[in-house]
Amino acid sequence: METRLLEERSRILTETRAFFLRRGYLETDTPALAPSLIPESCLEVFRTEYDNPFLGRMDLWLVPSPEVWMKPLIARYKRSVFQVCKCFRNSESVGRLHNPEFTMLEYYTVGADSGTSRELTEELFRACAGPDTPAWARPPFRRMTMAEAFREYTGLDLESLQDREALVEAGLGKGLLVPREASWEDAFNQVFLTLVEPSLPQDSPLALERYPAQIECLAADIPGTPWKDRWELYAGGMELCNCYTEASDPGAVRASFERESARKKSSRVPHRVDPGYPEIFTDFPPCSGVAMGFDRFVLALTGERDLSRLLPYPFARILEENKGVLRTP
Amino acid sequence: MIRGGDIAKGSVLLINSHPHIVVDREFVNPGKGAAFARVKAKNMRNGNVVTQTIKTQDEVEDAQVDLIDCQYQYSDAEHFVFMNNESFEQYFIPFPGHEDKKFYLQEGETYSILFYEGEAIDIKIPYKMVFTVTESENYVRGDTVSGATKPVVCETGLVVRVPLFIKQGEKILVNTETNEYQERVNS
Repeated sequence: METRLLEERSRILTETRAFFLRRGYLETDTPALAPSLIPESCLEVFRTEYDNPFLGRMDLWLVPSPEVWMKPLIARYKRSVFQVCKCFRNSESVGRLHNPEFTMLEYYTVGADSGTSRELTEELFRACAGPDTPAWARPPFRRMTMAEAFREYTGLDLESLQDREALVEAGLGKGLLVPREASWEDAFNQVFLTLVEPSLPQDSPLALERYPAQIECLAADIPGTPWKDRWELYAGGMELCNCYTEASDPGAVRASFERESARKKSSRVPHRVDPGYPEIFTDFPPCSGVAMGFDRFVLALTGERDLSRLLPYPFARILEENKGVLRTP
Repeated sequence: MIRGGDIAKGSVLLINSHPHIVVDREFVNPGKGAAFARVKAKNMRNGNVVTQTIKTQDEVEDAQVDLIDCQYQYSDAEHFVFMNNESFEQYFIPFPGHEDKKFYLQEGETYSILFYEGEAIDIKIPYKMVFTVTESENYVRGDTVSGATKPVVCETGLVVRVPLFIKQGEKILVNTETNEYQERVNS
């Protein structure tokens, strides 16, 4: 850890708060513990327990994102909100860009779409940049759609490869080790992570837009296309944030909950899902949200690419120093 | 078979029926996606490096390999020549894909050789090795323009930056992954 980076982190956090408060966003402070979560099959979570000798016990889970608490507040108050808080993701690798406990910056803008969020995020970068911020982390953001990136770096037409077998075949044709029975999403990720992501330009931040609708998430579909209104921001080879024009159709959210809950059954740490949760979308304002890995944001703005330089206690070190109590998987 | 999550640097995978040794591995979690291992693997027959991404839960074919201690003898125009310490059998490892190994091969020293289906495919270089300095310029005390180190050449041609007090003919311990000087070895 470098104290210079901690000082920068503190400065950037102060700038971030001031940035959103100036624009009239309400800063929320929601619990880290939740009795149920939004089902996301790509994530594993941490389970814990409330234990009161008189009242009883209750299963609780640490939030992998404050979204589960923030969206009901947006539905209730119809206001733009932001929050900086600790989030927790289990089972992921630990290293240069991953720590199971990390800081998330989430901001939701009422009445906005993902394009407004992109402009807002560029403004945020401008407001928080310091003298050491490298060119690769300075706005404006370069923009590219997922289909353009596939065409550019693989020669494949992703729009016409919406069928599982066709995409698996295309991946195999590129010499990749795609299992014959791979799902569309896994085959997509294998091609993306092997051929596309490492080739993305890194001379300036890149907003990669229009993600496949076949990747389940709570972003709105772009009607008449196989895409969702979602972008991810890359800077210096790091994935910094994920933005949606939020899905606000309760039916679509309910269907997504059902599909993801079914997939969640095979997860290592199952959690409770509130079947009533999608009802908040019966009166949900049009809105766009961004979830940004705040630690990575600080790394980018200071020209760094390794969390162990920023975090006073990186989890990799905690693991290493406590190997003796590590139980076999 | 080996699970994606178990692949590590040094694992040997069978890709399109060719043995590939993993030279780099990182775990990646795409936004809203499962965990994958992204590996760079070198084809042991032609030295070409390929990138593959494997879901940590999926299994891929690995190559069953053996490690045998062999003595390095010499190199001819196209091969490194080793001898099996027990059977005295000779093995010829062609240069392509192993060119950089020449800086770490000392005649008469024993190395672990990786065999796949009876074919010698890779040379394991020890993590730390002792080298003799064969060329070193003399620096005068107080010469700090180039910092506190100077480059020297070792008997294999390896160039290492060492502290100014190291002289020609002395032995030094070197980290072979980073080519960094570790310490002077008293002979």
